[in-house]
Amino acid sequence: MDTAASHSSSSSIMFYDFLDKMRNPASLNLVKSIKSFIVSFQFSSANPENDSERVQEFFSTMEAAIMEHPLWAGATDDEFDCSMEGLEKYIMTKLFSRTFAISPEDVRIDQEISEKIHLLQSFLRPEHLDIPPFLQNEASWLLAEKELQKINAFRAPREKLHCIMSCCRIINNLLLNASISENHVPGGADDFLPVLIYVTIKANPPQLHSNLKYIQLYRRQEKLVSESSYYFTNLVSAKSFIVQLNAKSLSMDEIEFEESMQAAKLDSEVSQVEALQAQMDPISSTKMHGMKKNIDGRSNYPYMEAEPGELTVEDVERLLSLYKDVVTKFSSLCRAVRHPSATRTKPSLPVPKGRDDILLQLEGQSQIIPEEKEEVHKVKSFPVKN
Amino acid sequence: MGCSSSLPDRSTGRLGGLNVSESGGVADAKNLRVKLVLLGDSGVGKSCIVLRFVRGQFDPTSKVTIGASFLSQTIALQDSTTVKFEIWDTAGQERYAALAPLYYRGAAIAVIVYDITSPETFTKAQYWVKELQKHGSPDIVMALVANKADLHEKREVPTQDGIDYAEKNGMFFIETSAKTADNINQLFEEIGKRLPRPSST
Repeated sequence: MDTAASHSSSSSIMFYDFLDKMRNPASLNLVKSIKSFIVSFQFSSANPENDSERVQEFFSTMEAAIMEHPLWAGATDDEFDCSMEGLEKYIMTKLFSRTFAISPEDVRIDQEISEKIHLLQSFLRPEHLDIPPFLQNEASWLLAEKELQKINAFRAPREKLHCIMSCCRIINNLLLNASISENHVPGGADDFLPVLIYVTIKANPPQLHSNLKYIQLYRRQEKLVSESSYYFTNLVSAKSFIVQLNAKSLSMDEIEFEESMQAAKLDSEVSQVEALQAQMDPISSTKMHGMKKNIDGRSNYPYMEAEPGELTVEDVERLLSLYKDVVTKFSSLCRAVRHPSATRTKPSLPVPKGRDDILLQLEGQSQIIPEEKEEVHKVKSFPVKN
Repeated sequence: MGCSSSLPDRSTGRLGGLNVSESGGVADAKNLRVKLVLLGDSGVGKSCIVLRFVRGQFDPTSKVTIGASFLSQTIALQDSTTVKFEIWDTAGQERYAALAPLYYRGAAIAVIVYDITSPETFTKAQYWVKELQKHGSPDIVMALVANKADLHEKREVPTQDGIDYAEKNGMFFIETSAKTADNINQLFEEIGKRLPRPSST
């Protein structure tokens, strides 16, 4: 699980050292405590705040026990600390599925943030956050993004936090180099935070909310202090900015912002339908079932109830023509929304909000214009400016 | 350029780089460790003040921090106490104002900076004072810093206005110049003296 990480080697040495010590017969009592703690967790229902308190308390108890343990007699602060890191990793790896992104609320928030970032990605540019040109460095940003995107490759809070720290370190190097080469006074947080926010949006790190919450709750408390705490807080801050982001948050015309968000929403709908159609066997796909539910189980749409085994060759032909029809209608709709000459004066232009609306609008129309299929691909490759 | 920072580095294995005994806020009565948050409009020189302070008393043994927005520096006071400042910079642009509580939570000291050549930044400083009075920790030590004092020919905020405002709000006031290093060390020494000491139990 560590293989993706650059720091994995030192991290695993640390961890194997801990495991080695635990295999020593002398540490039997410690092993027993650890095992019974993990078992005790399986029998209680999840409650993040309470669970965090229990885990942190256990870390403290174990810290005291290890400090007095003969196996660690004469150990340096570093060795002792490594053992504690090993303990954190062991416990949290075992308890991961029980403690990470555990509530439906967390899952929902993760989804919402990820979707919002996805929309923002399609039009947000560094200028919108007033990031000066000399700090715009695609290569550094990409490295920083990759660090954030690694976060789910790890289960130990320490390693997840390490991804954040590495991302921030890369940004800081960029700021430092820029200030040297541009002879610019280092801007501190005035420069740092906007770049971190931009990098976070470009990265769209998986389960951002849950990862932050997990680190906050389960990283050994005495380690989430000082510099780590500062950079951790900056990512919390970036997340919070993204969640609250509206037309007023950016250096961007408010109407332009709203229009860009609408266009991005529609674009993402198109991609979803395309992905759906691309499966060539849409009827059996789970998304198709989802769609069926969305339209109140109405059967105006042929094949919605069909199973793959029931289809004949004629059905395939008919499905293809239906597919073309849907795509055509969709692309016309997209064009209508993409060139909303009337939106500024007539904001009531019917902009479809979701798949349901679009499908309802398509209902009853079945003209086939296959040539227009091309258009969808243009729509899909909606320009993404950095 | 950024490559080196993503490579394995054993020294970064211990995040935060603090000794176990040192963490958790105040270490002991003689060796204080305090969180200081910097607030103020962008461009008033918050980070310059800190860089001047940290570089001016360069300590080769101190762990090098990874950037200019978080810095730490230890000073010795006359009563043989040492104070380690952990300095949290905040983004001063208006669009990030709502995020400030995330940063000043748990801070023992708030240093609020304005630029003597810009009345708007003085207004913004007053906004931060009010915000901290409302939402900050009740025993937070606040300092009002009038920076860019070297630009006296461009001064638009009279010294007396700063003094009066600080006095009215029970704050420590000082005019500094990060450019000439004027009063930078004094600022941190004065703050150190004003820190509440942990009871000697």
